[in-house]
Amino acid sequence: MLKKYEKEFIGSNCQFILADSNSVILESTPAFLPIKKGELLTDLHPFFECIPSLVSLPERVHSFYCIHLSIANSKYITDIQIRSIEKGQLVLIQDLTKHYNNYQAVAQARNESIINEELIVLKNVELEERELFKNLFIQNFSHELRNPLMSSIAVTQILSDTDLNTEQRQLVEVLRESNANLKLLLEDILSISMIASGKLELRHNLFNLAKLLELLAFTYRTKATSKGLTFEISVDNRVPEFVEGDRLRLFQVLTNLLDNAINYTEKGTVSLEVMFNQQWANKIHLHFVVSDTGRGIPEDRQGIVFESFSQLTLQDKEKGTGLGLALVKGLLALMESEIALKSAPGKGSVFSFDLGLKVPLSFERSATTQSPSKGTSRNIGKPDRKYKLLLVEDDERIQTLLFKVLMDTDQFYLDIINDGAQVLEQVIQNSYDLILMDINLPNTRGDHLTKIIRDFPFKNIKQLPIIGMTAFAYEDHLKTFKDAGMNKVLTKPFDKEELLSTIFAYL
Amino acid sequence: MQRSKKIVILGHFGVGKTSLIRRFVTNQFSDKYKVTIGVHITKKVVALTSEDSISLILWDLEGTDDLDQIRDAYLLGTHGIIFVFDISRPSTFQHLKTDLQIVSRKIPDRPLLIIGNKKDLVPEDELHETLNEHAIQYNYLTSAKTGDMVEEVFLDLANLLNKDA
Ligand SMILES: Nc1nc2c(ncn2[C@@H]2O[C@H](COP(=O)(O)OP(=O)(O)OP(=O)(O)O)[C@@H](O)[C@H]2O)c(=O)[nH]1
Ligand SMILES: [Mg+2]
Repeated sequence: MLKKYEKEFIGSNCQFILADSNSVILESTPAFLPIKKGELLTDLHPFFECIPSLVSLPERVHSFYCIHLSIANSKYITDIQIRSIEKGQLVLIQDLTKHYNNYQAVAQARNESIINEELIVLKNVELEERELFKNLFIQNFSHELRNPLMSSIAVTQILSDTDLNTEQRQLVEVLRESNANLKLLLEDILSISMIASGKLELRHNLFNLAKLLELLAFTYRTKATSKGLTFEISVDNRVPEFVEGDRLRLFQVLTNLLDNAINYTEKGTVSLEVMFNQQWANKIHLHFVVSDTGRGIPEDRQGIVFESFSQLTLQDKEKGTGLGLALVKGLLALMESEIALKSAPGKGSVFSFDLGLKVPLSFERSATTQSPSKGTSRNIGKPDRKYKLLLVEDDERIQTLLFKVLMDTDQFYLDIINDGAQVLEQVIQNSYDLILMDINLPNTRGDHLTKIIRDFPFKNIKQLPIIGMTAFAYEDHLKTFKDAGMNKVLTKPFDKEELLSTIFAYL
Repeated sequence: MQRSKKIVILGHFGVGKTSLIRRFVTNQFSDKYKVTIGVHITKKVVALTSEDSISLILWDLEGTDDLDQIRDAYLLGTHGIIFVFDISRPSTFQHLKTDLQIVSRKIPDRPLLIIGNKKDLVPEDELHETLNEHAIQYNYLTSAKTGDMVEEVFLDLANLLNKDA
């Protein structure tokens, strides 16, 4: 009984062929391949061309797995065994097409997924490279813009200090505002690209959150009022006064959201709400909400407003920078938070985010509030005597501008040199109160000179306050300059107040 | 009797081994990827001169990134080797040196051509940059898709094998 089945099964799937030493077929069992006596094995399929090379080998039996044969218009996937016998070869062909087709499907899926994965990784690397290039470009370009903008801000400042008629004053005001916007734009785009290239690092300092909110309340009440809007602020009384985090970046997030709200609201109210979510050990979770009664944002644009260079409509007359929300998104991502937006056209917009901040557990409020900040408390404009400054700057326009600003105060004697090589000589021969020095000087660098000065054997020279000026505001650059011994580095563009308050802080 | 020479085509999977043979034998190409399992064997007679020809038995092996895994039976009686990598996928040539060492251990003393395929996918300048960067030695850069340099590879090897015989 079984014999019959065995014969049926093996008979249909296995074929035995006997061939002589010249590969001429002597005999074959009737199975799946139509084979005639007298045919050449090599005519059957080129696989059999390998037989002559097997004969010379010591092994008598050779097994080949997964050999594709296509014979008489049919395709088979087979295992083939070739045995050398006295007369020639015994060939056993086993049809395993079904079995191997299953295996093929598995291999197909496996290979495709491995290849796809690699291609995706490659694609991402390429995108990252392009993104990196873009960010570097933006960073360099915005630095290039700093010097001319610096000139523009300074000239405007000087101009506004002269006698002007009403019309001229209005024009200068426009100029001043444009400069301020430009400066903001420049800082925003720089921050965005620094975030994108991972160069922007958050600080973790203790700061007075209550004061920050007060400042915002004051600023935005004023801004709102001047546009005929109401400004409301509400702060949960469980929100601690002092928290640990990056004050500057939180400030940037909130001012961008509030500016945006005011810009896009014609009438009604802009409000800021700070809610207390929970406290875990020394970490508190706050919820910030900025809402307005402005025109609202249609649903299909709600994702786009957070991309760089998008503006709600091209015809907008408002001076939204188009970068503010992108910056907010980027900064919040750095703070491990995410901005949420609820809005509908005509219904206003609500921007909100959660923020985890540390609170010092054993913090005593009075201890910190009592320690006054040093250095900046000097009263500008009331010097005991005139100070002697050395200005080292090779850009003549900036020389002129700084000269004007400084001389106008009538509090300084000023020496100006534009060659770094003369600095040391000047310093030795004169007794200055402070050096104001550009960092990129012809033939040398401000930070190198500072290092040399700091190594002087004379106390009065060694300890001279040195303020650097640079258009390069990367954190790592600034650190290098400070490490070289500069007391402070001003980043171009800076304005009159910044310059004077910095100088006075070190006199 | 016509001389026949066995050529094995080796390389990682998906590099275009099957496509190169297809282009050479039937002058066709398909964008679809059908993974080869085991081995496909085809034959093509190549004219070397007006009187002389040689028959190439092309063994298109299943691709693998672990060449040690190749079944030795497939390699018995090999006369020449074509090793193919994919220029657009570094994983297929990153370890070219070790791959070739394995090949020459498994099939000693046989002529070998190293082929970088899919040249159509990579811009010319980038192509040389990548290959130099990885210090890749190759004999031909081909495209099975456009047919560029495909025939040259097989004819070159046919001539090498002809001299050998
Ligand atoms: N653009 C382009 N695609 C190619 C070229 N050669 C092969 N391909 C594609 O690459 C994929 C893989 O080609 P195959 O020839 O099957 O690769 P293989 O080396 O035989 O792969 P395995 O059998 O798995 O080892 C297919 O989708 C082909 O269409 C080429 O020169 N250019
Ligand atoms: Mg293949």
